[in-house]
Amino acid sequence: MLQYVNVTIDGAPVRAEKGTSVLDTAIHVGVCIPHLCHIPGIHDMGACRLCIVEEVKNGRSKVTASCTLLVEEGMVIRSNTDKILKMRKNIAELLVASAPNSKAIQDIAVRCGVKDVRYPFRNENCVLCGRCVRICKERAKANALGFIGRGKDRHVDHPPGRLMDYCNNCNGCIMFCPMSVTPCGGLMKKGEERLCGQCDSQLNADAQKMPGVCVWCELGKGFQCSRYLAI
Amino acid sequence: MPRISQARDLETLQQHFVAKRERVKTTIVVCGGTGCQASRAGSVIDAVRAELARQGLMQDVVVRVTGCHGFCEQGPIMVFEPGNLFYCHVTPNDAQDIVSRTVKKGEVIDKFLYTDPVSGRKVTKEAEIPFYSAQGRQLLNFNKLVDACSIDDYIAVGGYRAIAKTLKEFKPAAIISEIKASGLRGRGGAGFPTGRKWEEAYEAPGDEKYVICNADEGDPGAYMDRCLLEANPHQVLEGMMIGARAVGARKGYIYVRREYPLAVKHARIAVQQAREYGILGENILGSNFSFDVEIARGGGAFVCGESTALMTSIEGKVGEPRAKDVHTVKEGLWNRPTVLNNVETWANVPHIILNGAKWFASRGTESSKGTKILALTGQVKNTGLVEVAMGTTLRTIVYDIGGGPKNGNRIKAVQTGGPSGGCLPESLFNLPVDFDALWEAGSMMGSGGLVVMDDKTCMVDVARYFLNFLRDESCGKCVPCRVGIDRMLEIVTDIAEGHGRPEQLDLLQELAETVAESSLCGLGKSAPNPVLSTLKYFMEEYRAHVHEKRCPAAVCKALVTYSIDGEKCTGCGVCLKACPHDSITGEKKKPHVIDTGLCQRCGICIGDCKFDAITVR
Amino acid sequence: MSATKLDSILEGRRSQPHMLIEVMLDLQDQEGYLPEDALKTVSKELGVPLIDVYRVAHFYKAFSLKPRGKNVITICTGTACHVRGSHLLVNQVRGQLGIEPGDTTPDGQITVECVNCLGACALGPIVVQNGSYCDHMTPGKLRKKIDKAAGKKKEAKDA
Repeated sequence: MLQYVNVTIDGAPVRAEKGTSVLDTAIHVGVCIPHLCHIPGIHDMGACRLCIVEEVKNGRSKVTASCTLLVEEGMVIRSNTDKILKMRKNIAELLVASAPNSKAIQDIAVRCGVKDVRYPFRNENCVLCGRCVRICKERAKANALGFIGRGKDRHVDHPPGRLMDYCNNCNGCIMFCPMSVTPCGGLMKKGEERLCGQCDSQLNADAQKMPGVCVWCELGKGFQCSRYLAI
Repeated sequence: MPRISQARDLETLQQHFVAKRERVKTTIVVCGGTGCQASRAGSVIDAVRAELARQGLMQDVVVRVTGCHGFCEQGPIMVFEPGNLFYCHVTPNDAQDIVSRTVKKGEVIDKFLYTDPVSGRKVTKEAEIPFYSAQGRQLLNFNKLVDACSIDDYIAVGGYRAIAKTLKEFKPAAIISEIKASGLRGRGGAGFPTGRKWEEAYEAPGDEKYVICNADEGDPGAYMDRCLLEANPHQVLEGMMIGARAVGARKGYIYVRREYPLAVKHARIAVQQAREYGILGENILGSNFSFDVEIARGGGAFVCGESTALMTSIEGKVGEPRAKDVHTVKEGLWNRPTVLNNVETWANVPHIILNGAKWFASRGTESSKGTKILALTGQVKNTGLVEVAMGTTLRTIVYDIGGGPKNGNRIKAVQTGGPSGGCLPESLFNLPVDFDALWEAGSMMGSGGLVVMDDKTCMVDVARYFLNFLRDESCGKCVPCRVGIDRMLEIVTDIAEGHGRPEQLDLLQELAETVAESSLCGLGKSAPNPVLSTLKYFMEEYRAHVHEKRCPAAVCKALVTYSIDGEKCTGCGVCLKACPHDSITGEKKKPHVIDTGLCQRCGICIGDCKFDAITVR
Repeated sequence: MSATKLDSILEGRRSQPHMLIEVMLDLQDQEGYLPEDALKTVSKELGVPLIDVYRVAHFYKAFSLKPRGKNVITICTGTACHVRGSHLLVNQVRGQLGIEPGDTTPDGQITVECVNCLGACALGPIVVQNGSYCDHMTPGKLRKKIDKAAGKKKEAKDA
C-alpha cells in the first residue's frame, strides 16, 4: 500500500512516494538536478555533492544532498537558487579539472554552467564516483571492488590476488563508469583550461536558459540518468 | 573485594577510605601523565618509592601517582600534602635528597622550586603559582586528589555519589531537566546543548539505546581529553552512567584514539574495577538500572572524531561519515538512538548533579555556562592545560595565565579550535571564551586548543599547514572536501612559493566558501576555516606573498635566504657537517659561508648552531 | 604467524564483524604488521568480506601491510610540535636516511612515521622510539638517536 507525502519543489507542489529521495522525486517529475554518483535502485552515497539543494525549514535554509534526503510531509525544497547554482558550478569545475577528458564529466560541467576552468588540468583516470563499487556490491553481489585508502590516496581496487577470483564478469562496472563514455575529438590540454560547450549533447541555448528542466540531454542518454531508465 | 550492592554500602566504603587517607602523614603527589612520562616521571616514582622503603617510611608516607596536572613543561612534578609544597623538574637522582630532607625534616629545597618567568621569583606553594591561580580549575583540581588507577581514591573523594543521588532522587525526565537548566553545552567542538541532545534521544522510539564517550581528540595541539581520561576515568564513567539512566541506555562505549595508550590503559582498569565493585553491571546500587561499558580503540583517523564516522568505526568499518539529515540521537550506532558526548562534557555531569544546575550556571556567560579546559601552547611563556570560566578573555589567558610572549616577539594571533577553527588577530583579544562569540568572529571554540603565534609565524604557512593536515585526514568520499582541499592547498602552496597570482586570492575565497557549505560532514565543512579566517584578518600577508613575493615573517622557504653572520660565526663547523645538501663551506675557526644556490632552507643548520649565527631574511 | 597466536586474538570475537578493528589492532601490535594470510583468516572467522578487511587496513594509520623495521621512530607533526620545528625533524630523517615518512630503510632497521598529535604538546617536538617518548627533540638529537639505532646492527656484525 503506497503512501504519499506532499512536498514543494521550486515552488511547485509535488506528490511524492514515501521512502523516496528528493532527487528521485524531482527527476520523476521532470526537474533536472544534475548528479553523478546516483544510480536509480542503488543505495545512495551522497558523494559527488552535485545534487545539493536547499531545504527550507523554520525560516532557515540548509544545504544538503538531495539523493540522501528522504521526502517528508511539508518539505520545502529549492534546487536552483543562486547560491546552489554557484556551488554546483564550482563542484563541477573541480570535477572537470580532475578529469577533463571524460565526455560525461564535460557534459555535466557544461550543464552546470562551467566555461573557463580556473585550475590546472589533471588527467585522472577515476573520479571516485563510486558507481562501480556499489554496482558490484549491490547488483552483482560480488564484493570484488572497494574504495581503498583515504583522502588523496583513495582509489578503487580489489582485494589482493587476482581480480578474477572475486569478479563474476557482469561488466556492470564498465557500463556505469562515467570515464568509459567515448571522449570527444579534441583532447583537453593543460594551459587551455576551458570547455567549448559543443558536445554532442542536445544542449542548446534554450536549455541554458531553463536550468531546472529536463532537456533529455546526451549526458542522461549515455549515462543512465534515471529518467532514461524509467522509460 | 568490596561489593557495593546498595547505596548504603557506598557510604560505608567512602567513610572507610577517608579514614584510611587521614591516617597518612604525608602524601607525595606525583604526576604520572603522558607528558611527565616523557620527562621520565616513571623513573622518579620508582626511585622515590625505593628510597622511602630504604628509609623505612612506607607506613607514614604515600606516593600518589596521579594523572596529568596540565603543567607539562615543568615536569616531573611533585606536590607534598599537607603544605601544598610544589617541586618541579625532579630527576630520579634527587630521590634521596628529597626523602631525607623534605619528607623527613620538612626542609624546602630551593633548586626544585618553580620560578615564575614573569616576576623571576621562586614560589613554594602550588596554589600561589600565577599560572594556576589565574585559572578556575574546577575539573582539573580533581586530578591531584586521586590515584588514576584507584577506584578507592575516587570513592574516598565522593566518587559515585552522584549516580547514587540520581538513582534515588531523579526520574529520567528530571535528570534531563537538570542538565538542560545547567546550560551545559558540548565540549567537543560544536557546543550543542547537552540537555536537548539527551531529550531527543530520550524521546526517540526504540528499546536499545547507547551512550558514547568521544575520546578521539584528534585536534593536534589539544590534549585535555587525554588528561581527563588518564587522570580520572571514573569521573567520566559516572557521567556516562547518569546519561544512560536519563535516556534509557544499557550499554556505553568509550572510543579512545590508540595514540593515547595510557588513557586506554586507565580506562580499561577503571571499567574493570567498577565491574568488580558492582558499580557497572546489573541492578546498580540496588536499583533497576543496569549498565556496562566497552572500550573501543580508534585506528588512527582524525575523521573518526566526527560522530557518524566514530559510530561506523565502533561497528568495525571504515570511518566514513554519512549525511546527518536524520540525527544520530534518533539513528546512530547500529541505527539506534545514541547520545555521543565528549570526555569533558561527561566529566561535568556528576558535578552538576551533586551541586545543582544553578551552581553550574552561576559561572560563565549568558550563552556558555561553566568552565572550559583549554590547551595553551605555542609562543607563550607558560604552556599547558588551562581551565577558565567561560567569558574569560583571550587577553587574560595569553598574558595573565600564559605569561606573555616566550621569545620577546610580538604576539600576533591565536589559533583556536584546531584544524576546524580559525586564527584571531591580537586586535580581537578582548573576545571572551564563549561558543557564540568565537563563532561570530570566524573561529570556534572547538575542543579547546589555543595556539599562540608571534610575528615569526607566517599566517600563509599556517593555512598551508592545516590544509595539508586536513587533506591527509579527509576520508575522501565527497568531492568538495577531497578535491576542494587539495586545490586550496595547491593555490596556497603557489602563494607560499612565490607563484601566487592576484586572481587566485579571489578563487581561494570562492572555493573555500563552496567547500564550507557543500561538504558532506563537519570535517569538510570546517576545513576552510583556517583559510577563511587568515584571508579575513591577515590579508596583508597574503598580498605581500602575491604582489611583492615576500614573506613578512621570513618563514616561507622559497622566499627567504639563509646566510651566516660573519661576526657571530666561530667556524666550529657544526653546520657544515649537519647540512644534508652540502651547501656550507669554510675552514676551521674561520667564518663559514652558505651557497644560496644549493641551500634548500631546511633549517637544520639553525637548529644546530650554538652561536645564533645563521640569519633568515 | 602461528595459528595459536591468531587463535587467541580471535578468541571470543568470532562471527562478530564489529570486532574487526580491535582484532586488527591486536594483530598489528603482535606482529608489527598485518600478514596477508592472517587477514584472510580474519575475514573468514569474523564474517567480513575480504574487500572490507582491506578497506579498514588501508583507511586507518595504525595499520601497516608491510613488515616494519626493527626500530620504529614516530615524529609528532601536530600543531604545537610544528610551530616548534617538527618539520626540521622530518627533513633530518630525509637527509640522513633517504626515506620518506611511512617507509622503512632498505636494511629493515628503521621505520619512520609521522603522527598527527600524541597529546604531549607542551613538551614538543616529540619523537617516540619503540614506545618511549622523547621530548624537546632537535635535529641534532634525532641524528644521534638514528645513528645509535642504525649502529646497533654494526656492533652485532662486529661482535
